[in-house]
Amino acid sequence: MVAPDADSRHEVAGDRTPLLRIRGLGVRFQDFEAIRPLDLDVLNGEFLTVLGPSGSGKTTLLRTIAGFQQPTAGRIEFDGRDIADLPINRRPFNTVFQDYALFPHMTVRENVAFGLRVRGVARTTRDARVRDALAIVELEDLGDRYPAQLSGGQQQRTALARAMICEPRLILLDEPLAALDATLRRQMQRFLKVVQRRSGITFVFVTHDQSEAITVSDRICVMRSGRIEQIGTPRDLYYRPQSRFVAAFFGASNILEPCRIESTGEATTMVSTPFGTMRVDGPPPQVREGLALAVRPEALVPAADDTCNRIECEVVSVSFVGSETITELKHPEARHVLTMKTRSNPSARHPVVGSRLEVGFDAAACALVKGAQE
Amino acid sequence: MTGYVPGAIVLWAICILFILVPLSSFLAYGFLPVVDNAIVYEPTFDNFVNIVSNSSYRTTFLRTMLLAFEVSAFNFVLGYATAYFIWRRPPAWRNVLVIALAIPLLMSYIIKIYAMRGVLGTNGLLNSALLALGVADEPVSALLFNLMAVRITLSIVLLPFMVLPICVALERIAPQVLQAAADLGASEIQTFRWVILPLSLPGAIVGAMFTFVLASGDFLAPELVGGIEGFTFGRLVFSQFGLAFNWPLGAALSVLLMVVALVVISIARRLSNPRWQS
Repeated sequence: MVAPDADSRHEVAGDRTPLLRIRGLGVRFQDFEAIRPLDLDVLNGEFLTVLGPSGSGKTTLLRTIAGFQQPTAGRIEFDGRDIADLPINRRPFNTVFQDYALFPHMTVRENVAFGLRVRGVARTTRDARVRDALAIVELEDLGDRYPAQLSGGQQQRTALARAMICEPRLILLDEPLAALDATLRRQMQRFLKVVQRRSGITFVFVTHDQSEAITVSDRICVMRSGRIEQIGTPRDLYYRPQSRFVAAFFGASNILEPCRIESTGEATTMVSTPFGTMRVDGPPPQVREGLALAVRPEALVPAADDTCNRIECEVVSVSFVGSETITELKHPEARHVLTMKTRSNPSARHPVVGSRLEVGFDAAACALVKGAQE
Repeated sequence: MTGYVPGAIVLWAICILFILVPLSSFLAYGFLPVVDNAIVYEPTFDNFVNIVSNSSYRTTFLRTMLLAFEVSAFNFVLGYATAYFIWRRPPAWRNVLVIALAIPLLMSYIIKIYAMRGVLGTNGLLNSALLALGVADEPVSALLFNLMAVRITLSIVLLPFMVLPICVALERIAPQVLQAAADLGASEIQTFRWVILPLSLPGAIVGAMFTFVLASGDFLAPELVGGIEGFTFGRLVFSQFGLAFNWPLGAALSVLLMVVALVVISIARRLSNPRWQS
């Protein structure tokens, strides 16, 4: 899912200095608070994804950084100075718009050259730099086409080249892949990642697609109702969600609740759930009330001798979906149905509906999350 | 299918019967000579030869073309400024202004010209304003019954035909495109020169075409405010039909005007459909 080299980057990311320091930033439209005052650091050279459902404030946050939206509270510091009042055309950032917003009357080459043209860069320099930019986005042969003559992916790459041409410190991408079909989308995700890494330009990328966020990001900032729910590496968010919302957003989770803390150690917490007492590895939770235990369906396995958290269940249904088999389980004491996702195996015996099965999960493969039942 | 074919036939029949037949029979008149105030039904090119060889017709034709060009050029600037102003208002205002601009199109043409006569006359609005401002000591009579009066009247009366297509073109510019220009560092002037103007130019060309064609063929405004000096090609055509009762010559003159209109329309069509719009 995440390449090993991407992992090593996450460690480096921690030492990086912030490029943008956002403090107490709030945006209010009449009586609707699009962004509740929040703090966020964008680190130099990172690929930061702002992820959230529609209406979470992610696009507003991006537009505020770009300068299209005036904040109603707080500061955005860039290189130590507040840029909240700096006009759009003076910010050293460029944007890739959701619908690309290419200039329809200009060729690909002219579109890409626009940023240099407004800065009065000499024609020869301009041509050379446009050629380089088109080479990066692999559009060398289409320089003379007009946007109307390009496919969605080609328009997308033109928009990216146009945003990169002035070597901005930061590129803001507003759901740039939303209009592409699934195959092209995956291709463009890899492409964006490669371009970002090679150029070293900081990317702030907005999306509502969690798998896209996991694929491209160094860090993900999950937003919900104008607040930041959690920031971390894709791995953190996937395996260590802090809230029920984040756990659910990154794919279906089994939520074991109500959950009461029995004892906490330095790296281990014992909690009681309707399914029995479970061991959870990881730092102790910051709150003690309103917790639930989240277990990913693929973390749930038929219990082996060394499995520490065990649940005795009845098999409710078994569905074979190709590479995986999904088993639904019910515990007599709890009203929840648990979902177990196992790798399909032609020789293995599958559970029989109605039979009893002991399943379990590793203490490191679950997370205590906050957030009441919704 | 069975319902579709008769429908198409009916539509074609309407086009042929009510547009093509009257138009071509009218044009055919242009080829008929008049001898002793009677039409002779033996087609010749006499009328056209007469027109081309007559220097006063040529002068009138050129004067009219120049007039139409002047009105179009002036309205191009005035109309663009007006459309740009309207476009920059908040949306609610924009609709009110566009409607206000379109309302005169629903009014009688003659009433509008008489209104302009009132404005331009010796005791008119313009003279009162000039006197009040101290620009003139006594009413200026030179505002009416000359070519300048025709220019002013046609400009005012035809302004909506220029403004509305430009408004449509400006309205079609996606706001994100303007944001992209600002995002890439463009100042407002650069955005206007390199983005807004080229994107709205096709609309302005269509507006200029409307203005030119309407101004070059108009006879009522020159007739009512133009005096002797403001004698235009439209009035010439009118005089052949209404005064001289030389219908064939009038028809021949009309053919000339129609050719001009078609040429202007085809040039405008080419200019207002740039390659990028495909």
